[in-house]
Amino acid sequence: MTTHLLDIDQATRRFGGVLAVDSVSSHVDEGELVGLIGPNGAGKTTLFNLISGFTPLSAGTVRFRGRTINGMRPNQVARLGLGRTFQNLRVFPNMSVFDNVSVGAVGTLPQGPFGALFARDGRAKDISDRTWHALELAGLTGVADELAANLSYGRRKYLEIARALAMQPKFLILDEPAAGLNDTETRDLAAFIRRLHAGGLTIMLVEHDMNLVMGICQRVIVLASGRKIADAPPDEVRRMPAVLEAYLGTDEGEMGA
Amino acid sequence: MNESRSPTRLIVPVLVLLMVFAALPAVLASFDRGYFYQIANLSLIFVLLAASLHLVTGVAGLLHLGHAAFYGVGAYTAALLATKAGLGFTFTLPLSGLVAALIAFLVALPTMRLVSIYFAVATLAIGQMLYLVMLNWVDFTKGPNGIIVTKGLNLFGFDLSGRLGTYYTVAAVVTLCVIAIGRLSHSYYGNALRSIREDDQCADAMGVRTVRLKMEVFTLSAFFAGVAGSLWAHMTGYISPGDFKFSESILILAMIVVGGLGSLPGAIIGALLLILLPEGLRGMGDFRNVMVGVVMFLSILFLPRGLLGEVSALKLVRQQLNAAWRRTDNGIGIGWR
Repeated sequence: MTTHLLDIDQATRRFGGVLAVDSVSSHVDEGELVGLIGPNGAGKTTLFNLISGFTPLSAGTVRFRGRTINGMRPNQVARLGLGRTFQNLRVFPNMSVFDNVSVGAVGTLPQGPFGALFARDGRAKDISDRTWHALELAGLTGVADELAANLSYGRRKYLEIARALAMQPKFLILDEPAAGLNDTETRDLAAFIRRLHAGGLTIMLVEHDMNLVMGICQRVIVLASGRKIADAPPDEVRRMPAVLEAYLGTDEGEMGA
Repeated sequence: MNESRSPTRLIVPVLVLLMVFAALPAVLASFDRGYFYQIANLSLIFVLLAASLHLVTGVAGLLHLGHAAFYGVGAYTAALLATKAGLGFTFTLPLSGLVAALIAFLVALPTMRLVSIYFAVATLAIGQMLYLVMLNWVDFTKGPNGIIVTKGLNLFGFDLSGRLGTYYTVAAVVTLCVIAIGRLSHSYYGNALRSIREDDQCADAMGVRTVRLKMEVFTLSAFFAGVAGSLWAHMTGYISPGDFKFSESILILAMIVVGGLGSLPGAIIGALLLILLPEGLRGMGDFRNVMVGVVMFLSILFLPRGLLGEVSALKLVRQQLNAAWRRTDNGIGIGWR
């Protein structure tokens, strides 16, 4: 069996008596663009938090790049090559756009006060170059000096993605990137994600709304009530009775056309 | 697009250095009053204390209420090494910093996972503990009687204990430390610290080792406070626990808040203001402390981001020290070299 980039094996998370994620197994291969969807409360964000080290697993294992990440801190998983964004936009408001993005680059390089104090080892240049490259990808070079707090909502989304890109991740997880965007903005975002994917990046989209995911993902994992109910290409998922039932059973039940 | 350093951009730092190392000593020498020298040295020591607290509280966002205690640890280390072991300033200067840093590291181990107000209360308790040790361990620290430090300033065999020599020594040590602190806070390292202040969970997800960085910065800042303590011990020749009590921690905190949290130039301005203002107002008698309070209150009311806030301070440093990594098309410096 070949090793996958991300391997989720019977991942389970209990909160008190509630099974938020119930024995979910799946995997992501290098170069894939995968969607993770499900109605509200399906356990998407919990599963994401299990992968990124924010929440410890109750049972099961998650392997990333061949390493078991159970019990790792988020920064260890991040330095293994997992970049992420947040559902509820978490930029560093009182830092400039450039400085925000530079944190992603700093985070994945060796950190230490003595480098900053004495060395002229080119690390500052590495960090700055990485940062600038990420800003270029996200089209933010024009506002590099703005405070993050002054950016529009849409731009802050790109800022978050740029910050994750500056980490030069092996795997990028975007948590509800389309939330709060209008149709035009969502289309632009889809094009941006496609470009990143075409550039060789492995991406997972965690989405609540199916439109974006069905449009661009090669494979879709569907969660409902903490269980995986589907794991297939979008066309098949759309026809699965279990998926239809899960979505139609809630008020948010619109299927992407 | 990385441009070379142009000399015209270094005007402000050169002026500041000329002021500290030429103009001010000349003025002090012309007045030739010990009191003025004391004020100048005290101001410089508090510049270093404010700059070191700036690193923890301003940049990394950890509300530290016990900073003066590490200043005290440095001063007592210097005083005890000088009186009991007969060591000169050459040794006590680095050792004071190292002992303060070591104690800070040990207390930081269990403290650093605490957040916000809990961290603040923990540092308050640490400060009180250290203060009470200085006050009550009479056999070792001579308690409230304090210690008379007989050794003056003396570096590598050169006697620097004269008025001007003392001033130059204090000024040189403080300048070097402030430059070091500047390199830490105006760099990618400073950006990592700022990200912890802004949102430490998010910084964690970006790969920043938040707990380790907090410990580092807490320890480094105690090192600089310890250095300031040894300057104080050798400069005044007498230390007592009263110099390092809680109200001193609050004074240093007030300096960096008035100057602008997260701004190193602001911390320096705040320190100078809160040391020189009460001295300048001596003519007003007891009323002067009220005036100092009024100035602090007004500055927070009208300039909540400080006299020289973080954003303007970072821009100023990028421009004036030519520290920017590159310039955008409209000439604004971004990033750090």
